[in-house]
Amino acid sequence: MKQKRYLVTALVFLSAGILFMLWDMFFSHPEPGVNPYAYDMKAIRSADTLLAKYREVQQIKPVLTSIHGLAVDRSDRIYIAGDGGVELYNREGKRESAFRIGGSARCIHVDKDGLIYLGMEDHLEIYNHQGIRVNQWKSCAPEAIITSIAVTTDDIYIADAGNKIVYRYDHSGKLIRKIGEKDPRDSVPGFVVPSPWFDLATDPGGALWVVNPGRHLLEKFSREGAILGSWGKATMAVDGFCGCCNPSHFALLSDGSFVTSEKAIERVKIYSPKGEFRFLVATPESFTEGTRGLDLAVDSRDRILVLDPERNQVRIFVPKQ
Amino acid sequence: MKKIRVIFIFVVLLSLQFMNAYGVQRFPKPDFESGYLQPETLQPSARAGLLAIMDVSVLALALALVSWLVLKKRSRTGVFWTSVFSLAYFGFYRQGCVCSIGAIQNVTLALFDKSYVIPLAVLAFFILPLVFTLFFGRTFCAGVCPFGAMQDLVSFRPQKPDPRLNAVLGMMPYIYLGLAVLYAATGSDFIICRYDPFVGIFRFNASFGMLIFSGTLLVSGIFIARPYCRYLCPYGVLLNWASRFSWRHLTITPDKCIQCRLCEESCPYDAIDIPVVDLNPEGRSVTARKLILVSLLVPFFIVLGGWTGSRLHETLAGVNGKVRLAKILLEPERYRDQPEPFEVTAYKSSGKPLTVVYDEAAGVLRRFYTGGWLLGCFIGLVFGMILAGRLLTRYSTDYTPNKGACFSCARCVDYCPVEKNGTKEVKP
Repeated sequence: MKQKRYLVTALVFLSAGILFMLWDMFFSHPEPGVNPYAYDMKAIRSADTLLAKYREVQQIKPVLTSIHGLAVDRSDRIYIAGDGGVELYNREGKRESAFRIGGSARCIHVDKDGLIYLGMEDHLEIYNHQGIRVNQWKSCAPEAIITSIAVTTDDIYIADAGNKIVYRYDHSGKLIRKIGEKDPRDSVPGFVVPSPWFDLATDPGGALWVVNPGRHLLEKFSREGAILGSWGKATMAVDGFCGCCNPSHFALLSDGSFVTSEKAIERVKIYSPKGEFRFLVATPESFTEGTRGLDLAVDSRDRILVLDPERNQVRIFVPKQ
Repeated sequence: MKKIRVIFIFVVLLSLQFMNAYGVQRFPKPDFESGYLQPETLQPSARAGLLAIMDVSVLALALALVSWLVLKKRSRTGVFWTSVFSLAYFGFYRQGCVCSIGAIQNVTLALFDKSYVIPLAVLAFFILPLVFTLFFGRTFCAGVCPFGAMQDLVSFRPQKPDPRLNAVLGMMPYIYLGLAVLYAATGSDFIICRYDPFVGIFRFNASFGMLIFSGTLLVSGIFIARPYCRYLCPYGVLLNWASRFSWRHLTITPDKCIQCRLCEESCPYDAIDIPVVDLNPEGRSVTARKLILVSLLVPFFIVLGGWTGSRLHETLAGVNGKVRLAKILLEPERYRDQPEPFEVTAYKSSGKPLTVVYDEAAGVLRRFYTGGWLLGCFIGLVFGMILAGRLLTRYSTDYTPNKGACFSCARCVDYCPVEKNGTKEVKP
C-alpha cells in the first residue's frame, strides 16, 4: 500500500513535469513589453559616487546651437567651435568675441601663438585671433573626417577617423608621415575606429598620444610613428573602457595625468600618467543619457572643461575640497 | 621506439597550431564583471577544436569501456563508476552540451537547412552511441549518458508502474522525438535543449521553471527509475530501435537459464521479458482474430493521427518565431493596452514590409501542415504498434532482457546464480 502511494506520488510529479513542458511550449506567452534580450545598462551606469572627486562649478552657454570642439589657450581663454562659427570666452566664462566660419568645425586646437586650427570635416583651416582665416589646407584624403588636432613647435598632427590614421604635417602643410597604419611586418596593429570619435594630443615631452578606441587603449607614438607604449583596459567596470569604442576624448593635466571621456556610459575620469584609474570627474548621472562627443580641455589651473553637446554647454569641474 | 618518439613530437607540434588562436591580439570584448546579467542562451559557445577532439575521444573510450564491462566483465560496479565519471565529465565539466540527445536536432536541421553545417563533433556524438548500440545494445544509456547517470544516482526505491500505464507513458518519447524533429526541420526551435531538465543543474544556472521541472523528475526518479530515459528521452527511441538489431546484447545469464526466477524482480526498468512457454496460449482462432484487428487498426491509427496532426498544424506552428510575429501583427487590437511586444519592436526596426512577414509565416505554416501530417502518422503508427505488441504474445523460453527497452545497466547479472559452464552461489 505504502509502495503504491510512493508510485502515485512519483507519477503525479512526472505528469506535472510533462504538463509544465506542454504549457510552456504551447500556452505560455512572454510578458508583453519585456525584452529578455534588452541590454540593461542600469547597473553599469550607476557609478560609485565616492569615486567622484570633482564638482561642477560653472557652465558656459554658447550662442552657437551645435557645438563640437573645445580648446583652451595659454591665457586660459576658452574656444568653442561648432556649426558656422567659433566663440571665445575668458577664463571667467565671459564671452569676449566670436567669428563666423564657412562650415562645421568638428574639432579645434589653439597653439602657443594663438593661432586657431579648425578641423573642417576633411581639411584644416587656420584662423588668427581676430577671426581672419590665414590658411586653408587641401583635403587630407578622400573620405577624411578630421576629429582632432595637436600642434607642436615642429609638427601638426591630425587624426582622421574616416581613414583611421594620424597624419604628421609640418607647419607649411607638407605631409611628413602617416602614423598608425596597419603594418603586420612592423607589429603595428592599426587603429580600430568604428565611430567618428578619434582623439589625439601631445604630452609635455612632445610624444604623441592617440586613442585607439576599438581596442580601448591610449597609444603613445614617437614622431617617427613607432609605438612607444600603451595603456587601457577593456572592462565594464569603472577603471576601464567599454562598448565598441572608448574613450572618445582625452586631455592631459599638468602632472601628465590623463582626463578621459566616454560615450554610451557617459563619464569623465582621471588616470595617472601610467594609466592607473584614479577617480571620477563626472558620473553618468551628470549627463543626459545618449550624450556623445564630450570633448575635453584643461586650463593652466588644471580645471577640467567638458563640452556637453546635448545640453549645449561647456561645463567646468574642479577638485572637491 | 624512435618511430613513437617522432610521432609524439609530431603530435605535440600539431597541437601547438591550436595555440596560435590564443596568441593573436583580439578585439577586446567587454567583460561583465560589474554585475550585468547576460540573457540566457540555449547553446554555450563552441568548444575549441582540440577540446572537441578530446570530447569525441572520451565518448568513444567510455562507450568501449562500458560495452566491455557489460558484455565481457558483466560488472555492474564497473558500469556504475563509469557512469559517475560520465556524469562528471559530460555533465558538469562539459556542461551537458553538445549531448547525443540534443544532437538529433542538429542532424535534422542539417538535413533540412542547406545553410547549416553540422560540426563533426556533434555528428560524432549523434552517431557513435547508435553504432555502439547496433553492436552491443544500449551501453550508452548504461554508463555514458550523464542524464541516465544522474537519475540512476537518485533511484533509491524504484517501483514498477502498472504495465498499461507504462505503455501509455512509453508513447511520450515518440511524441517528443516527433515534435523535436518537426521543430528542428522547420528551423523553429531546439525543444530538446529548451526543456533539457538537467543542463541547468550541470551549469548551475537553471531558471526557476526548469528547476521545478528538474526537481519533479528527480523526485519522481526516486520511485520510478530513470523517468526521463523511459518516458521522455527522444534519443532513447532511436537507441531502442538500434538495440533491437544489436549484434551482441547483454544476457542475464552467461550460460543456460535455469528458470530460478531470481532475476524476475531485479530490473527497475521492467525490461525483462518473462518466458511464455506455451506456443499458442490463446488458441489459433483468437490469435488470427487479433492479427486481423491489428492489421486494420494500425492503418486506421496512422490516418487518424495524420489527420489530427494536420488539424493541429497552426497550434504547433505557434512555437515558430515568424508565425508568432505574424499573429501579433495581425491582431494589433489585442495588444493595444499593453506594452509593445519586443518582437514587434525588433520587426519595426528591421524595416521589413508586412507582406514579407506574412509570406514567411505562410511558408512556415505550409511546412507545418505537411509536418503535422507526418508527425501524426508517425504517432499513429507507434500507437498502433504498441497496441499490437500488447495484443500479441511472443513465444520465449528464458528470462531475457527486452533488447529495445533494456539499458544494459547489468543490474540483473548480479542476481543470476549461473556461471559460465557451471553455477555460482548467490550472495545473500
